Amino acid sequence: MHIRRKKIVEKPQLLQEQIGDFLAKAKESGFAMSVARAPYLSWDTKRTNLNNTMQQLAEESIKICGQAGCRYIIIRSLFSGISDIWETNKQFFLGLVKTARENQVTILLENQCRNVSGHLVRGICSDAQAAAEWIDRLNSEAGEERFGFCLDTGVCNLCGQDMYEFTSALGTRLKAVILRDCDGHSEASLLPFTCVSNGSVQTDWLGLIRGLRDISFDGQLIMDFSDTAAGFSPLLRQQLISLAKSVADYFKWQIEIEAHLKKYSSIALFGAGNMCRNYMKCYGEKYPPLFTCDNNKSLWGTSFCGLEVKPPEALKSVSDDCGVYICNIYYREIETQLKEMGIKNIEYFNDEYMPTFYFDRLERDEE
Amino acid sequence: MKIGVQTKNVVKDSCPLEGFTMLKQVGFSCCDFSLDVYLKNFNVYQNRINDFFSAPLDEMKEYFAPHKQAAQTAGIAISQMHMPYPNYVPGGTDELNEYLRSVVAPKSMEICAFLECPYIVVHGFKLSHYLGSEKAEWEKTSEFLDSIAPAAKKYGITICIENLYTGLGGHIVEGPCCDASKASKRIDEFNERYGAQVLGFCFDTGHANLVGLDFENFITTLGPRLKVLHIHDNDGISDLHQIPFTFTRTRENTSSTDWDGFVKGLKGIGYKGVLSFETAPVLTAFPNVMKADVLGFIANIGRYFTGILL
Repeated sequence: MHIRRKKIVEKPQLLQEQIGDFLAKAKESGFAMSVARAPYLSWDTKRTNLNNTMQQLAEESIKICGQAGCRYIIIRSLFSGISDIWETNKQFFLGLVKTARENQVTILLENQCRNVSGHLVRGICSDAQAAAEWIDRLNSEAGEERFGFCLDTGVCNLCGQDMYEFTSALGTRLKAVILRDCDGHSEASLLPFTCVSNGSVQTDWLGLIRGLRDISFDGQLIMDFSDTAAGFSPLLRQQLISLAKSVADYFKWQIEIEAHLKKYSSIALFGAGNMCRNYMKCYGEKYPPLFTCDNNKSLWGTSFCGLEVKPPEALKSVSDDCGVYICNIYYREIETQLKEMGIKNIEYFNDEYMPTFYFDRLERDEE
Repeated sequence: MKIGVQTKNVVKDSCPLEGFTMLKQVGFSCCDFSLDVYLKNFNVYQNRINDFFSAPLDEMKEYFAPHKQAAQTAGIAISQMHMPYPNYVPGGTDELNEYLRSVVAPKSMEICAFLECPYIVVHGFKLSHYLGSEKAEWEKTSEFLDSIAPAAKKYGITICIENLYTGLGGHIVEGPCCDASKASKRIDEFNERYGAQVLGFCFDTGHANLVGLDFENFITTLGPRLKVLHIHDNDGISDLHQIPFTFTRTRENTSSTDWDGFVKGLKGIGYKGVLSFETAPVLTAFPNVMKADVLGFIANIGRYFTGILL
């Protein structure tokens, strides 16, 4: 979780001192730090003489990571005042390898914006294919897997990028994802799903989830909602952080949706509408359900997407290692109904972020 | 270098010579023939198809004969044209999509040939939301292109795919053909398969600006596959099709669109095609009496680019 940004002075030797209290309190509270972010320059900086300072700050940050037991550090590429971007950054990153190795830290490059007179466009490492090549070359030069990638969803959104294509191109190089929302035009770190217009999200969460699923992502999900947190009253902060945790859990659940289907030796569905139809389209072949059931009596005994529609009572006869997946948005009501019937292994299915979609929706749906 | 602009909002069916003459007088030597105005996209999306493309081909040629003659008389070359779009409507009726594929597209190719236009710009299908990936989306576009590529080969026309966008809650994000490397490979594959330059690329500066593409890198990657341009500007938020250098975002008031990258890219690949502006909406924004002045200003920007590129 990343809820607050801190400005630091340009003295790398003071970095340790500046964040010492924060680290101590985190440790005291039992927080493990899995990812850190090295200090970085604003994209609209006009300073071109800070690259040596950035190198020293990165070194210091890696050492702090080592002391805190933090495994990953996100370090942005140098961009200000340089002409040969790759050569300069190659020297910059390779110069950090020794310290990173000593501190057992993996350096994560990050997709960045470029500032064109106030318009943020695709900058360094914002082409996934090029970023993947950078990482491979750096790892090759380092002689070990010392570099990976952190995808910043906010940058992707500012640059209108297809996050499915981005994550797919990175594959296993992707070690962390910063989950943050923005309106796609202005830099901001808002809680995911909060940038909405006309009832529709403005960020490509569908592409992101599809992509992370495809590469079986099991890295770090970092929530960055510092601007949302700043906007909320401190009186509401606890509830906001609880919500943020739920959002993070939701992402994890969506990414791992197929892993959940593998948990049981057999599957039965509840619901004979669009969600069931979507299940059958995307997972029916790989994880074929025994049957589906529905509260609508008129459907009992009929066939839906190749499945027999049975009354809910039929679920009482399934084996103990059968998962019962609710394919209906009235999850909690149905869950209560099933629990009252003594049904076990109740799970939610969700079709908001399916690998593919039908062009249409069924009209008779009662979901 | 030659400079062109859309015929939309300039050339009228009732008297094409008037519009083409105006284009010539203000400094253009080419035009982008707006075939798309005869079947407007918002009507297609709403399954409202007029019968323009249902007419027999001979009648359509007869309809456009005055345009062809007027352009020749005025000294304007029809250097590129825009096929009506979309070519496929997700969730549209089979009848609609079949009409777009088997009537509108082939007749557009015939009209392109009739007007002796060497390039026709087409939109790729926007299907990644449904099909799950850009690759699957391209396969459908590719099938469509295969349906018109034989005509392209026959008539010596190059079909140009264009970088597009799609919408997400009012936020514009990248759509088909926003990856120059993939586009280049696909163009090469098509041309090799047909043994002719049936496929090329149309770089749209406005669409690129909306999704923050790196102009110079994109154009450099395309190289000689870049055949035509859609030059226009916007605020990075909406597809406004305005005059280049119009938008700024900072107090320094320098252009927030990367025109430097644009000309560097074109210069780098030795682009010798037409500098064609897709700025028809500018003409409805300005008073009608200023149309010639506005077109002249756009042509001047073309000359400015030419000065740098030559």
